[in-house]
Amino acid sequence: MELRRASELDTGGATPIAGGTEVVPLVRAGLLRPAELVDVRGVVPRGVEDGTIGAGTTLAELEREPSIPAALREACRLAASPQIREMGSLGGNLLQATRCWYWRLGWECRLHGGDRCFARDGEHREHAIFANGYCASAHPSDVAAALLALDATVVTTRRELPVGELYHVPAGDDRRTTTLEAGELIVSVRVPAADASVYLKAGGRKLFSFPLVGVAAARTGGSTRIALAGVAPVPWLHSGSFAAASPLPRNAYKVELAEALVRRALAALA
Amino acid sequence: MARLIRTEKEVEGRYEEVFVVVEEDALDQWPAGPRDVVGRPATRVDGLERARGQAVFTADLKLPGMLHAAVLRSPHAHARVARLDLAPALELPGVHAAIGPGDAGVLQRDCGFQGAPVAAVCAATPAQARAAVAAIDVEWEELAAVLDPEEAVAAGHVHGEARVRERGDVEAGFAAADVVVEGEYRTQVVLHNSLETHQAVVQWLGDTLEVHISTQYVWGVRRDIAATLGIPADKVRVVCTYMGGGFGSKNDPGDYTFVAIELARRTGRPVRCALSRREENVVSGNRNATIQRLRIGAKADGTLTALEGEYVNAVGFDGWSSPVEGPMNQLYACLNVRTVTHAAKTNQPPMKAFRAPGFVEGTFGLEALLDVLAARLELDPLELRRRNHAASEPLDGRSYSGKNLLECYRRAEPHWERRHEVRARSTATVKRGVGMASQVWYGGGGPPSYAWVRVGADGRATVVTAMQDIGTGSRTAMAQIAAEELGIPLEHVTVSLGDTARGPFASISAGSSTIPSMGPAVRAAAADARRQIEEIAEQMGKTGAPVAEVVSVLESGQILGKGARGPNPAGLQVLTFGVQVAEVAVDVETGEVWVERIAAVHDVGRVINPLGASSQIEGGIVQGIGHTLSEHRLDDPASGVVLTTGLDAYKLPTIADVPEIVGELVDVPDAQLTNLGSKGLGEPPIVPTAAAIANAIRDATGAEVHELPISREELLRALREARERERVGAPAGV
Repeated sequence: MELRRASELDTGGATPIAGGTEVVPLVRAGLLRPAELVDVRGVVPRGVEDGTIGAGTTLAELEREPSIPAALREACRLAASPQIREMGSLGGNLLQATRCWYWRLGWECRLHGGDRCFARDGEHREHAIFANGYCASAHPSDVAAALLALDATVVTTRRELPVGELYHVPAGDDRRTTTLEAGELIVSVRVPAADASVYLKAGGRKLFSFPLVGVAAARTGGSTRIALAGVAPVPWLHSGSFAAASPLPRNAYKVELAEALVRRALAALA
Repeated sequence: MARLIRTEKEVEGRYEEVFVVVEEDALDQWPAGPRDVVGRPATRVDGLERARGQAVFTADLKLPGMLHAAVLRSPHAHARVARLDLAPALELPGVHAAIGPGDAGVLQRDCGFQGAPVAAVCAATPAQARAAVAAIDVEWEELAAVLDPEEAVAAGHVHGEARVRERGDVEAGFAAADVVVEGEYRTQVVLHNSLETHQAVVQWLGDTLEVHISTQYVWGVRRDIAATLGIPADKVRVVCTYMGGGFGSKNDPGDYTFVAIELARRTGRPVRCALSRREENVVSGNRNATIQRLRIGAKADGTLTALEGEYVNAVGFDGWSSPVEGPMNQLYACLNVRTVTHAAKTNQPPMKAFRAPGFVEGTFGLEALLDVLAARLELDPLELRRRNHAASEPLDGRSYSGKNLLECYRRAEPHWERRHEVRARSTATVKRGVGMASQVWYGGGGPPSYAWVRVGADGRATVVTAMQDIGTGSRTAMAQIAAEELGIPLEHVTVSLGDTARGPFASISAGSSTIPSMGPAVRAAAADARRQIEEIAEQMGKTGAPVAEVVSVLESGQILGKGARGPNPAGLQVLTFGVQVAEVAVDVETGEVWVERIAAVHDVGRVINPLGASSQIEGGIVQGIGHTLSEHRLDDPASGVVLTTGLDAYKLPTIADVPEIVGELVDVPDAQLTNLGSKGLGEPPIVPTAAAIANAIRDATGAEVHELPISREELLRALREARERERVGAPAGV
């Protein structure tokens, strides 16, 4: 495996690496086998200016950034551990893979090209309660849920798109979890100002836990957007009702948990 | 005079009759209370070495020419190796040797659990060894796996007959009861996750085998290796000078050691075999899951009339049936008790002892149900426990060597009284409450154990004994004991330990036994040296002179004292006791629990080092909080394969989960026990933690949890159930 420093945003098909908190564990686990890694820290913007956040900005920098909405600051602060937040970049956080233990252990599940979702029939207490018919993996990013609630725009080397369109619910004809194309790099994220916003999280321990359920809510003018982390294979824009939830036998508790956090988030915005 | 006795030896609640040669323990105990050195807080004598990274753990050891081994393990819960070809591994760069079934006793074709070792290679680097293992051509024939412990018991897949303990007439006891409560409790599989994974570095020096290993018992490793290889025990040298935690999982050599030994023999090089963290979380042992169906009968005044328990230990493929029924049999005075304990044999990785095995799990069920009883009787939980205090061992009526549980209760009162104020701080969604639980456990240690003390002309002393300090601070405690007995400063004592070639036999560091087994031997050795020094002083006409002044005439000469652990008091039951009071806050909408404070009051006889003791209390409680709230080994229900092999999925507590911990020790020497009156404290503090937290949750919310860990799922279920109960006005515990 080769590692080189990028001199331009075109990585030439190599796998980009910034803080390494996502890529390195995947490589070590054998889940990612890149021929070439390219360190993009020198070319991807870092820092916040007029509501545009460079994709190379670390979570630690964002949790201390007064100019961004509170939901995003909180989502960063409640993610991972201080050490990981000092290294992990915003772009990498948005592209992190699921924590589904079957996927992480390399079981031949649908996301790995197989024909089964082991979690659906097996151990799924931390898995998805929405859109889980094909793959029950849960999206782990607190930050993505915050950006989805804030209706942020992702700027890549090739296009601009609403953050929700960065993600794709895996299905039989297209198993990808993001819409990013080969060689396409996230450059920055534009975050509109919100009148009020909040991020609430329930984890498996006090800190250093992926969200069992994370709830982001943002109010702008008369409208409020709510997005959830840890409840679907992608960051999940909440319709306002949990009627569409399809919990599995051992994760129905997540519906109750999410309902409680949504109530609280809305109360906090009021 | 040396005396041959037949004595009962206990480790982790397992008893065996053994012959031991003991020497009379003629020393009187020191009076209670702090002495010059003993009983006063001492920072660790090896603290700086550890902090500076100078302490060499097995994981740090690099021998010249050392190779690295990796092991091919069964990925299946139950499988047979249909075909195995090591040749592709041998062709890879850096690979020196490969072995398979038949080459070492631990390598097998028939794999009864995930992680069972099949083959191994050694290579110049760990990465090369791992790549070589991946290249081994292996074909598995998967076999049906037994995974459900209750189905296993029903089908006769068990480790031996069910263990039945019975006294009195249980049915008569229930008939005489005014109130009967019952409940089913379940505890999960938890993993030791020692900071240093299981590992060994071995080398052959001629016909002598040198084994560096992260272990709790250098002598046991020596014995097991010698027996397995069929070589004299004195041709095996076992070394462990610093180690990074064991918690019961490192009492024996383990497959990695035998793999390293065979590969070292074949290559003529030193070989390291170290488990990865993922291997550690599958095959290094676990606290097995339990199922507990419990029933308690009591009079209206709280007097227990009957206790009944049916327990299932989900032992796994190998291991032993831990004393999960121990607390029900031993914690309270009750004339009518019957327990049946099944040991299910499943195709899951073998259990190993884990910090008070069985008693942690059994205390959770018993003490949780006892609080349900207290609620039904409208009795104060602390008062209910007082009323059932056992004045003698309930199992057989033996007197205790010493028991200060009532004093523990008395000292717990101020903490218990806080419950009114704690509850008053509840809000609409965050309810607060206080719960308590009692603790009984072993911890008396025993013979044989020996120590030497050497005093030089400079007035400094060295304690020489081949015990191990598994990270608990026993090195410091032994130095304190020797310094106290010799009357010299603590800084003038060095402790040489952890090497079977350098020092006499010493106890296993398990079952809270290091202090009570080794401490008296060290004191006896120091006293032997002191006696000789006093004899010299008398001849010098300097009776009563300081040690340093007397020995200064020795030049290169040395005073050599030797000491042995005397017998345990005949006919007496030696146990440790305590109580913990937990304060929690519960978010009744999200099922989140904050443990806000735990007060722990334990009775372990004389305390050697109050600072080390407080560390043990804190460590036990932190580990107990993990067991109670977040740690859970999850297996795929269909295949039995372990899913939580990484520390992302297996959630150990972090410092944010740790509450204020107030530790208190009764610190009264057990007058019947050895020349010290000290018992062990390694295990007692983890025993009541889960039950105290569960009872605090109940106090705060009315929710009765029945499972560990108390996950969001379990707590939200229990909260729903409590609301429903309140709605229909049903009593608790039915």
